[in-house]
Amino acid sequence: MSYLPLSNILHHKLRSVLSALGIGVGICMLITLSGLSRGSLGEIGDRWESVDAELIAYPKGLGTKITTISGGLLSDKAAERFLEHKDLVQSVVPILLCGASIGGQDNLISGIDPWDWKTLTNDLKVVDGVVPDHEGKFTRWYEKTVLTPSTQPDAPPLDLDDKVIAEHGGMELMVDERLAKKGRFHVGDTVNMENHAWKIVGICPSGVITRVFMPRRTAQKFFSGGSIHNSTLMFVKLRPGVDQNDACRKLACEYADLMPKQQYRASLDHTFGIMFTYIDIVNAIALVIAFLFIMITLYMMVLQRTRDIAILKSCGASNWFILRQMLAESMLLTFTGTAVGIALSFPAAWLIQVFAPLLTVQLSFKWIAVAILAAAAGALVSGLYPGWRATRVDMVEALTNE
Amino acid sequence: MTDSENILVARGLHKYYGKGPSRTHVLRGLDLSARRGEFLAVMGPSGCGKSTLLHILGLMTHCDEGVIDLNGQPAPFDDSARTLLRRTQIGFVFQRFNLLGVLSAEDNVAISLRVRGLGASSRVRELFERLGIAHVMRRKPGQMSIGEQQRVAVVRALAHRPALLLADEPTGNLDSANSRDLLEIFRQTNRQENQTIVMITHSAEAASCADRVLQMKDGLILGQPA
Repeated sequence: MSYLPLSNILHHKLRSVLSALGIGVGICMLITLSGLSRGSLGEIGDRWESVDAELIAYPKGLGTKITTISGGLLSDKAAERFLEHKDLVQSVVPILLCGASIGGQDNLISGIDPWDWKTLTNDLKVVDGVVPDHEGKFTRWYEKTVLTPSTQPDAPPLDLDDKVIAEHGGMELMVDERLAKKGRFHVGDTVNMENHAWKIVGICPSGVITRVFMPRRTAQKFFSGGSIHNSTLMFVKLRPGVDQNDACRKLACEYADLMPKQQYRASLDHTFGIMFTYIDIVNAIALVIAFLFIMITLYMMVLQRTRDIAILKSCGASNWFILRQMLAESMLLTFTGTAVGIALSFPAAWLIQVFAPLLTVQLSFKWIAVAILAAAAGALVSGLYPGWRATRVDMVEALTNE
Repeated sequence: MTDSENILVARGLHKYYGKGPSRTHVLRGLDLSARRGEFLAVMGPSGCGKSTLLHILGLMTHCDEGVIDLNGQPAPFDDSARTLLRRTQIGFVFQRFNLLGVLSAEDNVAISLRVRGLGASSRVRELFERLGIAHVMRRKPGQMSIGEQQRVAVVRALAHRPALLLADEPTGNLDSANSRDLLEIFRQTNRQENQTIVMITHSAEAASCADRVLQMKDGLILGQPA
């Protein structure tokens, strides 16, 4: 025997397809946008966790704001203090973070000393080219030039313009594969960033702490007021067996506080939690609209099908039987739409990453499950009112007037 | 004749439509009874209250005054109890067939059985064959002739062996040949299965098939004291 709700759905094909598509788009949005927001943030967390160090030192009193800082706020003297604890600390990697537009969008850039690449990336091999200032010549020349006071009283003031720095290998950049793909960058290209000409000398795998790298001294000159005594934060690699929380307490000093690296992800979630809320609200609105669509469709169907409902009632159908038919139809439409939405979310995620390679979409079973549960609840709610109206159909009026 | 011989007894039925000055008194204290196994026809001009009477007898709507006894029991006032009686005791055949357009003939019958908590039975197949429409079982109403549609409606009305078959102008939309066939089916069912039938009709030819014909006018059965 055919199932009446299914027969109704198959009989009104266009209406059913549009209803299912409406739900499908809402479900696809829910899964894809959640995957996008959480994936992008998760990717940042993953990149920071890829650093081969256990602790992050940040300017004192900054707390969870660590996720949004840049510039030189942390004195390099902090590194000296950390290294005094030889029993705890194996190495310290200072890093200067700055923001600049490259490849058509703002990027966080790491200014690093070339010898710290190994610690920073767990000795990841670059895909093409080399690390900026890979032999450290520029860094050593710059430190010598800036830090060594002139013995000549009549010596002219230092005038380190782009040309001089470029001649010593300071105007070098390395970008990760995803940014290189988006910006179509190749090793040897010259790009303009913040009104300076930079030479791309390397392309590294994606998944490292930032998408762009330059020599730390160059970053300090152009993005941190020229001071070569400050960084943004430092990664601290501990000796094997040292307790991280214990080390955080012991290493804290007047310049810096420290946190275990894993805590960074929690700080990210804390800082950007409002973004999740915003996206969840957008998703909820999209779903509500989709289910209103279903409700209106079913309600219209009740209005159009009062005769059919009256026929069932004349056969002795109870209100519960009538309500069940409407709920079943709502459920069938919704679950078809949900399946379409889940199926669409995979090509949607793929398309996003093709056209916006810097974004990460991480489709999760958790959000697919959330989508299914939301759909079930939505189907129930959106079927209830039309179903209730169906039970109120006046048999005689419907059979007489239609 | 005693009430125990009657499967249906209606006493003093009144029905009003509308309110205030436009209120219409459709049934004016109508009395009616039908014996078990009787084929009863009710005739009358348009607007005399025939269909209203049938809807009240079929417990599809309430009367404003009066009582109905069905199978020796007074019809309840409570809607769910009336639904239960309609489900188990009554079968309807309408003028416009009233089949569900999205379902095949056999599914139209099957869903009426499912509503009644019954499963498919050999009786359904037998009825389709007896009424000469076994070949349309898998067709939807839109793929059937009007005569076939009305016969499917009859199968649906009889499938659960109702105590009372109520037919509202069943030949009203049929041509002469189909009308004759349908009336013959009613007659056979009435005789072979002792099926009680109350049929509303305009047609004297249709009424002539019944055991008894009641004339209705202005909300009363003719001959009944006003």
